[in-house]
Amino acid sequence: MKSEFAFIALPVSALIAPSAFAVRYLTVDQAQQAIFPGKSFTAAPVKLTSVQRKAIEQASGVRVLHDEQQVWRVSGGGWFIVDEVVGKHEFITYAAGLNLDGSVKQIEIMDYRETYGGQIRDQKWRAQFVGKTSKSTLKLDSDVKNISGATLSCRHITDGVKRLLAVYEIALRH
Amino acid sequence: MRSHSGIEIRRCRPLLGTLVEIACQGSPRDIDCAFTAMEKVQRLMSFHDPTSDVARMNCHASRRPVKVHPWTWRVLKSAQEFSRKSDGVFDITMARQLVKWDYLPRPDTRLCSGGSWRDIVLDDEYNVRFRRRLIVDLGGIAKGFAVDRAVAALKNNSVTAGIVNAGGDLRTFGSASEVVYVRHPAEPTRIAGAVRLRERAMATSGVYFERRKYRGKYVGPILDGHTGQSACELISVTVAAAECMIADALTKLVFTLRGKAAGLLAQYRADALLLERNGTPSWMFHSPCDTRDQTRFD
Repeated sequence: MKSEFAFIALPVSALIAPSAFAVRYLTVDQAQQAIFPGKSFTAAPVKLTSVQRKAIEQASGVRVLHDEQQVWRVSGGGWFIVDEVVGKHEFITYAAGLNLDGSVKQIEIMDYRETYGGQIRDQKWRAQFVGKTSKSTLKLDSDVKNISGATLSCRHITDGVKRLLAVYEIALRH
Repeated sequence: MRSHSGIEIRRCRPLLGTLVEIACQGSPRDIDCAFTAMEKVQRLMSFHDPTSDVARMNCHASRRPVKVHPWTWRVLKSAQEFSRKSDGVFDITMARQLVKWDYLPRPDTRLCSGGSWRDIVLDDEYNVRFRRRLIVDLGGIAKGFAVDRAVAALKNNSVTAGIVNAGGDLRTFGSASEVVYVRHPAEPTRIAGAVRLRERAMATSGVYFERRKYRGKYVGPILDGHTGQSACELISVTVAAAECMIADALTKLVFTLRGKAAGLLAQYRADALLLERNGTPSWMFHSPCDTRDQTRFD
């Protein structure tokens, strides 16, 4: 297969950032099977008391935004947690699998969304793309799957996992 | 999740300080193998993890030889080659400057101000020795190398097509031709253009999310080993090459050298797309690639 690296003109309407770039990787069921294949799961949602909440914030150094934590007990030991983190532009739902001893087994991103109120401002810049020589143009709304330099950072997830480990210590372990 | 490109499965995990997405015509097991390879690269080459090869070298290699994993050794070898070919513009020992600017945590070793890539000695038994007290950071190419290892793992599992994207360093293989969007350098929440990519690796460097102020001046994480200065203009550089590690290193060189990097791109048969602050594209083509835009700016 011959290599290809080609420029693609974007239709004018597409030159804004997609107002929402979103990918769904996994549903809850799929994430459960991805992290703990073949296991069964019992919902064990956790409602944090204000004391627990404070303790978690203190232990992890991360703010707790929700009192409710979606937790499942895994057959044969371990925990499956669905959590969310919010950044400046991104909103990420992810699943964390914890081993029985509270160590992280695996993290899987379930949903990734970037949202902005992007607008076309630079008319001249935009104009240069119109009617260029490329072979195809694209619909942006449904087609944006790969952005080079796509991710802002995974710092929010790192913080989120820190918080979940504190949730384990304070609310799940005993 | 079958799409026009034959991609059946798409997964995403936090790794290497970014979100890594792998999509392929394969099974979850295949993707697991690819992630495992990338985790291994992270474990070996993380600047932060005190047990990594990089941390061990930074701690001991100025006093005694440090044996590293063959993968680390390969990345070091390539880094040395990039340094030689760019006459020191690419230099992994610039890590000390990144520490000073707080991009990297301060290591335990005392740092000295001199030293360069020329002070790194590699022997054929995977031993690394520093002639001076210095530290290295493989952040400029390890991510690309990790993408290459993930692709190798997928191919090894007989996966016929796929794409691995580590937050800007990506590689496609197989029949699937992928469209990759490039952010606007000054307004990274917008998309500035798109390229179509097949059987090729590509990396993008921009400082839009990383630029910061140090003593009243903007600095960025891409440094010129010659001058010790950082390039922190709001431009973005995208390089396409056969391997992601090469593309990764070349983006940094084009970022610093701009048009003067043409010779290097030619040597690696790579192409570059540079977006100016206002989004104006310019191109440098040096590969035997298939199709391309007819408007050349170089």
